[in-house]
Amino acid sequence: MTILNHVDPLDRLRLAGRRMTDPLETLAQHVAERVLDLIVHALDVNALVQQVDVNALVGRVDVNSLMRQVDVNALLERVDVSGLLDRADVNALLDRVDVGALLSRVDVNDLMRRVDMDTLVEQTDLGAVIAKSSGGAATEALDAARSQAVGLDQFIDRWAQRTLRRKRPAPAGPPALLNGQGEP
Amino acid sequence: MSAGADADRSVTAQGHYAGSVSRFLAYAIDIAASSAVFGLALAAISYVAKVVTGHEVSWNRGNAVVAAVFVAWQFLYFGYSWAASGRTFGMAVLGIRVVMADGTPVEPRRGVLRALVFPASFLLFGLGFLGILVQRERRALHDLIAGTAVIYAWDARAARLRFLARERDHQD
Repeated sequence: MTILNHVDPLDRLRLAGRRMTDPLETLAQHVAERVLDLIVHALDVNALVQQVDVNALVGRVDVNSLMRQVDVNALLERVDVSGLLDRADVNALLDRVDVGALLSRVDVNDLMRRVDMDTLVEQTDLGAVIAKSSGGAATEALDAARSQAVGLDQFIDRWAQRTLRRKRPAPAGPPALLNGQGEP
Repeated sequence: MSAGADADRSVTAQGHYAGSVSRFLAYAIDIAASSAVFGLALAAISYVAKVVTGHEVSWNRGNAVVAAVFVAWQFLYFGYSWAASGRTFGMAVLGIRVVMADGTPVEPRRGVLRALVFPASFLLFGLGFLGILVQRERRALHDLIAGTAVIYAWDARAARLRFLARERDHQD
């Protein structure tokens, strides 16, 4: 095997070429940076921004598609809610709330219909208040007597209906009261 | 059967036609109350007459005048109560009320008419009252004539809350 198998005759040529190109590359880099610097300083960025139609730009953005790509849970996990609340002035916030306007939009009657009064009385001190304010043997006896009378009424009524063999059930009460139009 | 156990049923019965037991009990209370007031009035008149004249005045049960005054008093008691508020003392105790047949508050003249025709239901061994059992709207003969009906009007919901409150108070 000759020595020519181990030595590339073009190596020396490549080395000479690299000595020439490296300084040229560095020079070109410096020139480009300088030119860019001069252009940026010469540009009026405000004037440029004024020429951009931001609305048109935003109009081309598909916000829904963008939002679908956002992991809201991950985003919220990164938010320090406690820290945020510490920084919020709740009193100042409440001062800005028009409570009257807020309440006028609330259907209190509907709200009250949704309250389970039985559970409320059973589980809160409201029961004790009612017991102390409306208690009394007379009231208790009256409630019991009326309830017993209603129970007997309904027992006798069922018996009478069965005896008469009515096919159609009798009306429960006067129409105005059943439709909630009148006051008993 | 407790007040609480019945209260759910009673709540749904509010505004419904009142049954025979409630109405009979209310009538019994009214007769007792009106008779007691009449008896007290007679006793007071006797006392005043004795003080003024010095003679003992006794009222004979068979006395036609006393009977006529008693009947008039009964008309006044029931007629005024029904015309003024749709309920007598006994009806207030049992939580029932007289209303027009369609459920609106009873008109005063209808209340008076009801009292005037009320005795008609006693005729033929009280057959007029049978309507409370067999008539679809539980209306007796005097109700049909006067165009009225009797309904439950007591606040059973408040009664239930009172019952629950008492139960909880006993537990504490």
